[in-house]
Amino acid sequence: MACGPLPLTTLKGGRSIDQFVQAIINGIMLGGFYAAMMLGFSVIWGVMGVINLAHGEFVMVGAYLTWLMSDGAGIDPFVAILLVFPIMFVFGYVLQRVLINRIVDRPHLVALLVTFGLSIIMANAVKLRYTATPRLTDTALSGVWNLYEGVTIPRTKTGILVVALLIMAGLHLFLHRTKLGKSIRAAAQNKQAARIVGIDVKKIYAITFGICIAITGVAGALISSTQAVFPFMGPPLTLRAFTITALAGLGSIPGALMGGITLGLVESFIGIYVEGIGTNLAIVASFALLWVILVTRPQGLFGGLRPAEEPQPL
Amino acid sequence: MRRRTLLILIVVLAMVAAACGSDDTAETTSAPAATTTTTADATGATTTTTEAEMVPCSTSTPESCAGTIVLGAAVSETGRFSREGKDTRQGYATWVDWLNEEYGGINVGGDRYLVELIQYDDEGDADTAANLVERLITEDEVDFLLGPYSSGLTMGTSAIAERYGVLMVEGNGASETIFERGFQNIFAVLTPAGNYTESAIKALADAGAKTMVIAYEDTAFPTSVGAGAVKWAAEYGIEVLAEETYPLNVADVSAIMTKFRDLDPDIFVGGGHFNDALLFVRGAKDVGWTPKGMVITVGPSNPEFATEVGVDANYIIGPTQWEASMSWSDEWFGTAAEFAARYEEKWGEQPSYQAAESTATGLALHLAIELAGSLDTDAVRQALRDLNVNTFYGPIDFDDTGKNAGKPMGAIQILDGVTQVIAPAEAKVADLVYPMPPWDER
Repeated sequence: MACGPLPLTTLKGGRSIDQFVQAIINGIMLGGFYAAMMLGFSVIWGVMGVINLAHGEFVMVGAYLTWLMSDGAGIDPFVAILLVFPIMFVFGYVLQRVLINRIVDRPHLVALLVTFGLSIIMANAVKLRYTATPRLTDTALSGVWNLYEGVTIPRTKTGILVVALLIMAGLHLFLHRTKLGKSIRAAAQNKQAARIVGIDVKKIYAITFGICIAITGVAGALISSTQAVFPFMGPPLTLRAFTITALAGLGSIPGALMGGITLGLVESFIGIYVEGIGTNLAIVASFALLWVILVTRPQGLFGGLRPAEEPQPL
Repeated sequence: MRRRTLLILIVVLAMVAAACGSDDTAETTSAPAATTTTTADATGATTTTTEAEMVPCSTSTPESCAGTIVLGAAVSETGRFSREGKDTRQGYATWVDWLNEEYGGINVGGDRYLVELIQYDDEGDADTAANLVERLITEDEVDFLLGPYSSGLTMGTSAIAERYGVLMVEGNGASETIFERGFQNIFAVLTPAGNYTESAIKALADAGAKTMVIAYEDTAFPTSVGAGAVKWAAEYGIEVLAEETYPLNVADVSAIMTKFRDLDPDIFVGGGHFNDALLFVRGAKDVGWTPKGMVITVGPSNPEFATEVGVDANYIIGPTQWEASMSWSDEWFGTAAEFAARYEEKWGEQPSYQAAESTATGLALHLAIELAGSLDTDAVRQALRDLNVNTFYGPIDFDDTGKNAGKPMGAIQILDGVTQVIAPAEAKVADLVYPMPPWDER
């Protein structure tokens, strides 16, 4: 790198405090998006034990749905989520009934292969239909609020954080306060016992999968105005969802939020404070963090819906 | 039991990482299907004699041709470069069809030869591309090679071509590193990556810009662009305040943009591919920073960019290899505008510069073979080095390393949603707008 040291003005006086505040804001915003993006992945794994390698592709499909609505009918992405949610729910419900239910009780490898195949089918089908040209949606929310001179709050990302928090609060209440939600948790904790008390586990699984895919699609809708939407955007998102799930614990909602924000803050601080290669190093750091957590606390920082021990053979 | 969970996590991580690294390449393990753009079959032999008289040799009158020159290329049809690969394929096919149907075959010492182009899908993967090029050389026994899309794939495939001593003419690998290995068999018609930002930086310096920041992806082409930008900044008296790199598939550049905003430079230079251009514009807006000028590679010169980004795309500056409005012309395809019209009629869309340089790639090989008057590799190599022509794509004059030393790079600025050439001075159709107005005043 040929760049010299940063000018001193950024390192002393009020500037450094501004930068610190900005790093925290950026990190929380990024974390909010991460949490919304990985929640579906985490809950499906927690409830069904299925590791969904097509997760990023569901984000992609949600983003494309939003782009279609935005491009075709001028619907704002933040309004489009009201439509994306039910459409993706039906998609997820049907997919679970037709495909995923057949592999829930099989060894992990089968689920991995099936969802990996699914990811390839989805990415290439979208490419055939809509070409590989990257897309972007436009939201009325874009722009910034000036907190004070030198520190800004991005409006779109605030919107994403708010929706993410609403989704998480909603899911938490649903899982803990409704009968259906309690059935889902029961099925996650002990499938046999759930069956004995009369819970239709297959139906519960389908509803869970539908809700998770709906949330994942909404996450796609949310990011469609902040980054390029293209058919092959999925795998890095799946990888990120995986990292945060390992940090957070399977299906743990507070864990998802804290895990997402932890990762967001780590990336934000390293990105801002390390010169030249900060954004590169942040990715390295996030995976270093993952290894540390895997070795020291394989059940994740926050526990979750399902004990880490798997009763089924590999 | 903990160990088992750990094992699963590691296996999955490895699988996902593998899927990310090779993009969507993992699904295809079967032998790739060859697509032949044009063949010398005689199915169209019913063509009228007048046409046969006008054209000395064509696919409809193969009996009047001395033979067929077989070319090969690995070009992405799927994967991360599927968009640019499509432009490349269409560009090649424009030249092949024109040559075989209108021009009358390549004139090799008085004999006319048709051209057949064998293309395989490299899926955007370097290993696949290298294997396919080896297959083109050893099994299909092609006479000459045309290049793939992207600097990264050109790096690998040109090494295979060099090993077998087969000439490769390319138009989509701009990184300088391709030409710094002393290879004798690689020739590129496009302006090298280090020169991408020259016209734009010069125009901005003339308009009063004093300071600059640079961000680029840490892969072959953007790194060359970044190094070039530093060089041109020094040349035109602009101080570089910071230089930042980011990884492939980056999803968030707000840390970089925050840092840059606080440095308050006049201009921002971003090196990357199409997706990064979208991220830079949204990223700058999301931290409330409007630089006086933004120069971004690859994205802005593509008409799709303005469509997707909307009003925020206005005033963004982008280097361009070629635009239909440029004043270049030749005796084969006519003016740049005439080439664009021909292309649009054939493919139903406007040519990107990737398409134009692909057609020019074929044309350069074609002219060198005619100059050599022979199909011998050594003779054609010498002819490529001797070649010095003006084409619809611009001047073509290869230096000893195989780079096109003759062609200047242009710069466009998006004004009212339309890409307008603003530099170099002899090709410009609009004046640079500097500084650009803030995001919220548009």
